[in-house]
Amino acid sequence: MEHLFVDFFQNTGFFLCDYRNIVMILVGMTFIYLGIAKDYEPLLLVPIGFGMLMGNIPVFQGLGLGIYENNSVLHYLYQGVTQGIYPPLIFLGIGAMTDFSTLLARPVLMLLGAAAQTGIFFTFLGALALGFAPNEAASIGIIGGADGPTAIFLTAKLAPKLIGPIAVAAYSYMALVPVIQPPIMRLLTTRKERLIRMEEPRDVSKREKMLFPIVAFLLCCFLAPAALPLLGMLCFGNLLKEAVVTERLAVAARTSIIDSVTILLGVTVGASTQGDVFLTAESVGIFFLGALSFCIATACGLLFAKFMNLFLKSKINPLLGAAGVSAVPDSARVVQVVGQQEDPTNFLLMHAMAPNISGVIGSAVAAGVLWSFMS
Amino acid sequence: MEANVYGLDAINAYNGWAISVVGVTIVFTGLVMLSLAISQLHKLLSLWENREELSLFKKKAPATDQIPVELTPGQKESARQFKLLAETLNEHFSLPRLLKLAKISGIDHPHATLARLLETDIIVSDTQGYHVLDMAQFKTLAS
Repeated sequence: MEHLFVDFFQNTGFFLCDYRNIVMILVGMTFIYLGIAKDYEPLLLVPIGFGMLMGNIPVFQGLGLGIYENNSVLHYLYQGVTQGIYPPLIFLGIGAMTDFSTLLARPVLMLLGAAAQTGIFFTFLGALALGFAPNEAASIGIIGGADGPTAIFLTAKLAPKLIGPIAVAAYSYMALVPVIQPPIMRLLTTRKERLIRMEEPRDVSKREKMLFPIVAFLLCCFLAPAALPLLGMLCFGNLLKEAVVTERLAVAARTSIIDSVTILLGVTVGASTQGDVFLTAESVGIFFLGALSFCIATACGLLFAKFMNLFLKSKINPLLGAAGVSAVPDSARVVQVVGQQEDPTNFLLMHAMAPNISGVIGSAVAAGVLWSFMS
Repeated sequence: MEANVYGLDAINAYNGWAISVVGVTIVFTGLVMLSLAISQLHKLLSLWENREELSLFKKKAPATDQIPVELTPGQKESARQFKLLAETLNEHFSLPRLLKLAKISGIDHPHATLARLLETDIIVSDTQGYHVLDMAQFKTLAS
């Protein structure tokens, strides 16, 4: 009878636990706290945080419980991440809930989104310099695109074993955009520049909004075909929204589909961050490079806006450059807040949505380009 | 590729610079192209929506055999003289008879003037071998 108790105890989490599980459980609880109590990207941090709890319960290998065991439920659900299924479905929902009017009204702001994506390539170089292989460096670099689904999609294709740390880094920094960006924005702009008021955007017709997803999809995917899964779904979702006659499908895409996929993606990504896999020197390097990537992307967007002002008659508020970091809509909100700290009557949010959204397109194109280079 | 290569050596070994430059160029090119296309989109739509007002898209009037009709002052004067001569004849008159009268009357260039009156349908055939004067056309062109 004693043997039964001993065998039972040796199969419990208390016996199998080591310090790495405890650390990750604490990190998971922190994420849940930040999501619920502080309202930092709760739709992402709460599923990821709870997934971390699930993934770090020590289990006896071979019982089909852990996410890395082939016959486990979590493993089947995790296939949506490793096979690159969830991110395009999330992009479908994003397209179905995004209004591209501000982008259509002033297309030149799209270049700010392009400028912010240079952070991806700077980080790529930094990751190579730190000793990461090219495919790993590309996956780490894409964190600078500040787009969780894009980061997960590319990492699943190029460096699947890094999905956990890269996804956690990407979503963590996306949640921390209101903390990371403002100091950089104040450092690289003058008070006079922050006070610039933007011109009122022109009215955009319904037909333009309907044609845009088709034109954008064809142009971008002819240039970078590897961006097809992400951009295709983004543009398709937007067409469903703008076509009006397919409103039912658009509603499904931006509610039930995106919410379901977000739950599954968050939980499985969180569960993949098991202590023995996650707590490595590599992960520390990824977190450091991820932070650097965000900072460089923000700086590049700001500096490019200042550069554009040398040639434009109607000046752009350079704060909009920070919105090129495609953490939609948080970075646009940060621009609004920083702008209003200088002038409470200066409303920059809608203008900032233009580079914000073009950043999503730009990061998808950058991911496609990196995937095609590394394949 | 050797393991554990760091720094600039690693970047050079993996063509990091080339990948970065080409990658940034492609992203910029794509978004510049898209930005240009979008900036022209509303103009093209406006052109399409107002296409009926554009001469390029206007439906052309069907071609007719009519020649633009206009008489010179001299021709108008000669036409008035021919009218007076025609009124001395029957309503349906012979063209050779009218021409003979025009020569006798001393009207300048009677053949050319008569040909012009026929071209402009001021004098028209009655399909019976004679001709008639179209007063409505005369009043339009020669008065």
